[in-house]
Amino acid sequence: MPVAEESVKSSWADEVEEVEVTGGNSSTEFPHPIVKNDGNSKTITEVVLNEDDKKVKVISHYKIEKHRVAKSIAQRKTWKKFGLSENDKPGPNPATTIGAEEVQMQFLSSKDEDPSESDDLKKKLIDSQKGQVKCRLCKEDHWTKQCPYKDKLEPLRSSLMDDEKDEEPAAAAPQEKKTGIPGKYVPPSMREGGSKKGESMISNRRDETATVRVTNLSENTREQDLQELFRPFGEISRIFLAKDKFTMASKGFAFINYKRRDDAARAIQVINGFGYDHLILNVEWANLNI
Amino acid sequence: MKPILLQGHERSITQIKFNREGDLLFSSSKDPIPNVWWSINGERLGTFDGHTGAIWAIDVKWDTTVFASGSADQSLRLWDCETGKTISKLQMKASVRGISFSYSGNLIAYTTDKMMGQQSELNIIDVREPNNVDDTAIMKAQVTPTNQKALSVLWGPLDETVVTGHEDGAIIKWDIRTSKKTDVAIEHTKQINDMQLGHDGTMFITASKDSTARLWDLSTLEPLKIFKTDRPVNSAAISPLIDKHPYVVLGGGQEAMEVTTTAARVGKFDARFFHAVFEEEFARVKGHFGPINSLAFHPNGKGYASGGEDGFVRVHVFDDAYNQFRFDY
Repeated sequence: MPVAEESVKSSWADEVEEVEVTGGNSSTEFPHPIVKNDGNSKTITEVVLNEDDKKVKVISHYKIEKHRVAKSIAQRKTWKKFGLSENDKPGPNPATTIGAEEVQMQFLSSKDEDPSESDDLKKKLIDSQKGQVKCRLCKEDHWTKQCPYKDKLEPLRSSLMDDEKDEEPAAAAPQEKKTGIPGKYVPPSMREGGSKKGESMISNRRDETATVRVTNLSENTREQDLQELFRPFGEISRIFLAKDKFTMASKGFAFINYKRRDDAARAIQVINGFGYDHLILNVEWANLNI
Repeated sequence: MKPILLQGHERSITQIKFNREGDLLFSSSKDPIPNVWWSINGERLGTFDGHTGAIWAIDVKWDTTVFASGSADQSLRLWDCETGKTISKLQMKASVRGISFSYSGNLIAYTTDKMMGQQSELNIIDVREPNNVDDTAIMKAQVTPTNQKALSVLWGPLDETVVTGHEDGAIIKWDIRTSKKTDVAIEHTKQINDMQLGHDGTMFITASKDSTARLWDLSTLEPLKIFKTDRPVNSAAISPLIDKHPYVVLGGGQEAMEVTTTAARVGKFDARFFHAVFEEEFARVKGHFGPINSLAFHPNGKGYASGGEDGFVRVHVFDDAYNQFRFDY
């Protein structure tokens, strides 16, 4: 029994050509279907009228498969078609049998099983962000671009801007100094994330497998901000924020060492692409080789 | 997988069934004409013309000689599988909701709807002579009003018992010699939409509107496993290769009347594969754009077919990904 592999209709160009040749005259004789059979496959080329009364060349490719079956099945194969299929030719009728599109069985890994959790985290994060976003115009809890008073306040503000410009850097500088300069020396063993025992050189090597790299941070990001941002995903052993030696301003990238790799993976999944301080954060594995 | 799409029905599919050897696939829908297809290439062998109402249930005898259909036109017909001609027609007083050939093929159990003053009934008739069927039931049991109406029906081992699934979620086992209830199991909380036997006839699976499917021991009516989803389950089937692939497949999705209010992605019309032992879903197959109403494993276990509210039957042959899949536990 022939098995339908696919039934290919002629291309649009072919159809047009066909119509031109025959002049759209439906009374012309249809050529007999051409059947090519080479053992493993069969190709039938025929010309039929489609719904719009246009002649269409239909090329059907069939793959011939041979199956060894039980006698009773072979017997049933010889049954004649009946009912509405009575006049169907041997082989599947394209009107009732269609080769559907390829579908993949989607295997669920344990990872995608609870997407609700990461959704929760994202929501939590957005909630925690609420206070951080501040409109430059009305000082309310939204982005400046979305400010409802934008049209009214924007021109006002730009006129004031010139006056403020001189004051701003002066005000910002002392604040940065206060927080940026490291305090008293703390031995490594006493620092946050360090174990209380002394560490040998070897064990001091950090576990790079749970480290994420954050880039595109804004200049005035502090370690504390990163702590707030990344802590919800799990315990952090170390935060390294690259800073300029003299100005103490952030260089725009940081490394976060998580204690567990799963937490790091979740942090990447959620924070990557997150808007923070007018920039879109880029979060990825620190060591892409692992 | 490259499924074959069978487009022979004008309305939503109600039941699909393979014959014992799996070379033929029978399908019925809410239009009055059941179809039969060659499962290997999706070629339509024929249609069974005669009914005047929706077909609720179908079954085929083990030797693929007689095909039975129960319809909302309040009749039950027996057909010759080879010619598609009606062998006999039994007129009822209510719609036939469930129909099942016994293992021997000598008896048919069917359930009728509760409608127009008629009570829901469970009847068993002798069909050893399909041309000359005596429509006086050899067993008759009134289901309502003591229980809710019976929708689906299955045979127990040795043709001694039948099991019915009810509108309120109850599963009842009947002894056909005494016409009495022997067991009642109430685990499901809503309507039983489908019941299917496992390949060896020791277990069966029920699909319920309460969003779960359950696996049962047929002889004791003991609930063995529960498979939970978040949408009503319309059909469930047990893999015939239960030793190698101990899986069940569930089909369902949102209720048909609510479908137009949501996107297909939200409706969850996928066929869902669960591990039968661990009760955990491990794979899904998309395809239908309405809820799946009926599912059937190919008797060789290497494929399955699904019929949906969208009126299509999709015949799938599993690919290597399924055969090589090992459940991680």
